[in-house]
Amino acid sequence: MKNSASIMENMPDSGSNIEEAKKTEVFEPRIIGFLCNWCSYAGADKAGAAQKHYSPNVSVIKVMCSGRIDPQFILDAFRKGADGVMILACHPGDCHYKEGNYRAVQRHRLLLRLLKQFGIEEERCRFDYVSAGEGDRFVSVINETVEAVKKLGPLKNY
Amino acid sequence: MKTAVYFCNCGTNISDKINPEKVEDAVKKKNGDVIFKTFGFLCSEEGKEFLRKDIIDNAVDAVVIPACSPRDHEKTFMNVLSAAGVNPYMMQMVNIREQIAWVTEDGEKAAAKAVRYINAAISRVNLQEPLEKKEIDISPDAVIVGAGPAGLKAALSLAEAGRKVTVVEKSPTIGGLPVRYEEIFPNMECGPCMLEPIMGEALHGDASGNIEFLTLSEIEDAVGSYGNFTVKIKRSPRYVDTEKCIGCAECIAPCPVSFKNPFNCGINDRKAIDFSFAGALPNVPYVNAGVCLRFNGRGGTGGGSCRLCIDACPVGEEVFNFGEKEEILERNAGSIILATGSALYDCSKVPSLGYGKIPDVYNGIEFERILASNGPTEGNIRTSAGEEPQSFAIVHCVGSLDKNHKDYCSGICCEYAFKFNHIIRNKIPSAKIYHLYKEMVIPGKESGSLYRHAAEDKNTVFIRVSDINGMTITEENGRKVFSVKDACGSVGGIETGGIRSGVGGAGERNETGGEIESGEKISVDAVILCPAVVPGEDMDRLAGILETAKDKNGFFEELHGRTDAGRSKIKGVYLAGSCHSPMDIKEAMNEGMAAAGYVLSGLVAGKKLSIDPISAAVEQERCSGCKVCIGVCPYKAISFDEEKEASFVNELLCQGCGTCAAACPSSAIKANGFTDGEIFAEIGIMLS
Repeated sequence: MKNSASIMENMPDSGSNIEEAKKTEVFEPRIIGFLCNWCSYAGADKAGAAQKHYSPNVSVIKVMCSGRIDPQFILDAFRKGADGVMILACHPGDCHYKEGNYRAVQRHRLLLRLLKQFGIEEERCRFDYVSAGEGDRFVSVINETVEAVKKLGPLKNY
Repeated sequence: MKTAVYFCNCGTNISDKINPEKVEDAVKKKNGDVIFKTFGFLCSEEGKEFLRKDIIDNAVDAVVIPACSPRDHEKTFMNVLSAAGVNPYMMQMVNIREQIAWVTEDGEKAAAKAVRYINAAISRVNLQEPLEKKEIDISPDAVIVGAGPAGLKAALSLAEAGRKVTVVEKSPTIGGLPVRYEEIFPNMECGPCMLEPIMGEALHGDASGNIEFLTLSEIEDAVGSYGNFTVKIKRSPRYVDTEKCIGCAECIAPCPVSFKNPFNCGINDRKAIDFSFAGALPNVPYVNAGVCLRFNGRGGTGGGSCRLCIDACPVGEEVFNFGEKEEILERNAGSIILATGSALYDCSKVPSLGYGKIPDVYNGIEFERILASNGPTEGNIRTSAGEEPQSFAIVHCVGSLDKNHKDYCSGICCEYAFKFNHIIRNKIPSAKIYHLYKEMVIPGKESGSLYRHAAEDKNTVFIRVSDINGMTITEENGRKVFSVKDACGSVGGIETGGIRSGVGGAGERNETGGEIESGEKISVDAVILCPAVVPGEDMDRLAGILETAKDKNGFFEELHGRTDAGRSKIKGVYLAGSCHSPMDIKEAMNEGMAAAGYVLSGLVAGKKLSIDPISAAVEQERCSGCKVCIGVCPYKAISFDEEKEASFVNELLCQGCGTCAAACPSSAIKANGFTDGEIFAEIGIMLS
C-alpha cells in the first residue's frame, strides 16, 4: 500500500493505481516529520520562500516545541506504517522554550535503543537541528533522510 | 460538528501548482459532508469578509484553511473566526504554500500531499476544543531590589509614570557603587555629583511620593507569580528615625566606639553611629548594634546606658529608637526588578599577585575609595609607610580571560584603569605608571580620550603580559617587585608604534628612552589590581528565593542573551544592571529604564492580564505524583499540591511548550492545542 507516488495514494479506491505503481517498483517512503514551531518549522518556511524543491515524502506535523514530541508519537507513526520519522529541533542553546530541544534529544537517544530491539534501523528515526534561517539545511536534511530510508526499503510490518 | 475547508489560491501561488478542484474532490470523497470552498486571496479584505459571512451562513463550527504558513496569517484568520462568533482555536491552517506548492516539483505529488495534509487537519480540528483566553487582575506596582544606578533609574521611571515602587536596598545608603567613586569614566565626572540629582529626585522630587525606599532591607521570601507577587522584606533596624533626623552629624564625634568601615573597604574606622561616608543618602547615620555600647554595655549585660549620641542631638531623644526591632514587611507587586549589582573577583584567588599579603596592593574599589575626597584618606594617595608613592603598577585582566579563573572580559576595567592613570597623574605629576594587561578593551565613542592621555604620557608604560594571573609580585625593601619575563610584548608611548602584540616583543624601546628587557625586574610603590567583575555576594540567596536561574558564571541568567536580556527566566522578574552581566554605568542606567519599560508595557493599571490558552493542564485524577513534570518545566510553572498529591500548572507561567506532557508517564498532562489525541489523529491520517 505504500508504493504509490500518485495523487491517488490516499484514496481507498485507488487499487488500480497501486497495482500500477507496484509494477514500476518505485518505493516512495512515507515519513512523518515533527517540527518545532519556532526554528525548524520556520526553517521549512524559509525553504518555501526560497522555492527550493525537495522530496515530498515527508509529512510535517507541527508542535510548539521539540520537547512536546512524546516517544509514543514516533512509535505510533511506525505502527501506522511510517517508513521513517524525523524530529527537527532548534539548535542547542536556541530553543524558544530554553531547553525543550535538550529533552527531545535525550528522549530520541533512549528511543533509538528501543527501536533497535524492534528491528527498526537508526536511520529511520532521525533527529536533527534546523534553525529558522536554515532553509537550505532543511532541504538537505529532508532529502538525505528520504534517500536513506529509500535505501533501507519499506519498513516491514510487525 | 460542521467543518468547512476554505482553500486559498493565493492568487496563483498555490493554484498554479495544486489544482483546487482535484483537491476538493479527494477531500470530499474522504470527508463526506465537509464544506469546501475556494477563494483567490483569503487574506484580502474581500476574502476575510467572504470567510466571515460563509462561516455564519453555514453555521460552521470548525475551520480548515489550506493557504500560506500559519506564521503569516494564523492570527488574521483567528480574528475572522472571532468576528464570526466561532472560537478562534477551532481552526487549523494547512501550510500548502511554503511547505507544499513552492517546494514540490511535481504538481500531482503536491496535490496528493495537500490532500493528505488537509485530511489530517480535518480530523484534528474535529477533535479540537474551544479554548478561552483567561484574564486575571494584576498589580501594576513593582518591587526593585537594589538602589544602584539601574535600580534608581527604574524606580524613578516607574514612579514618574504613576507606578508605586518599593526599592529594597540591603545597605544603609542608596546610589550603589558609583556614588563612592570620586570620578567616573569616560569624562571624569564626579560620581556623587552625577548621581545625586537622580537620588534627590527619587527621594524628594515630584514623583518621590510613589517611591518607598527600604534601606538595610533584604528580600526574605516571594510567593505568587507575574502580575501578583507577594514579597516579604526583612528590614533591619537603623535605630535612627529617618524622618526626624536632620543629618547634622553632631552625634558622631561624641561616640566612643569605632569599627572598620566596610564602605571604605575596611581601610579606616567609623563610629558605631555614623554615616557610611560623607554625602551618603539618605542623609541619616545608622547605628551598628554590633559595637554600640548600648547593645554591648560594659559589664557584659548587653544593656549599656551610653547616651552620648542622644545627648549631642540637637533635635532630641525622639530621633533615636534603640528599641527598634527587625521587621518583616510585605508588599504586593506585579513585577520584580533585580538590580543587585556586582562585585569584584577576590584577588586573593590569584595569590601570586600578593593581594591581602603585601601592603599597598589594592583592588579597584579600594583604590576608588582612596582617591575619593570623602574616602578614608580624603583623596590623598599614601603608602602604608605614609609616603606618596612615586610609581604604580596597574594590573588589568586580573582573574579574567583565564579558564582557571573567569574566562570572560568584564569590559570596564581598562576604562577605569585609564581613569586611575589620569587621576594619579594629576595628583602626582612625576609618578611612573606601568599598565600590565593581557588584552586591552576600550569600547565606545567616548573612551578614546582617557586611553590617549595614558598612551601619550611620557611616564606611562604599557606592558602586554601573556599570563597576568601567572605573574608574581613580591615585596623587597618595601617595594613591590615583579618581573616582565612573562611579557609577550611591551612598549611605551604610543608614538613608538602603539600597542604591540605578539610574542618576543620585550626589549621594545619606549618613549622615555628606557628599554624593558625580557626578565627585567620592575619595582613600584603601589599596585592596583583590576579584577574581573563577578556576581554580588547575595545573589545565590536571592536566586534561591525567586527561583531565577543563574548562568555558568553565577550571574542572573537572561531569558535570551540578546533579544530579552532584560528578562530573567521567571516571568515578571526583570534584570537590570550588572547583576546579569558586567557593564558600565551608562548601560546600567539604560537597563533600569528598559526594565521599567517591561513593567509599563506588560502590566497596565486597570487592564487585566490575558493568558494564552495554549498551555498545559494536569488531569489530577490521573497524576501519580511522580513530579517528573516539575523537573522538566523550564518556567517553574508546575507545582505539587501536597493535599491532592498531584501536580498542577500555573497557567500564567506556562508558556505552552508541552515538554511536561511528553514527559508525563501517566499521560495526565494535556497540552492544550496539541493534545495527544490531536497529534495521534494527524499521524494516522498522514499515513492512511
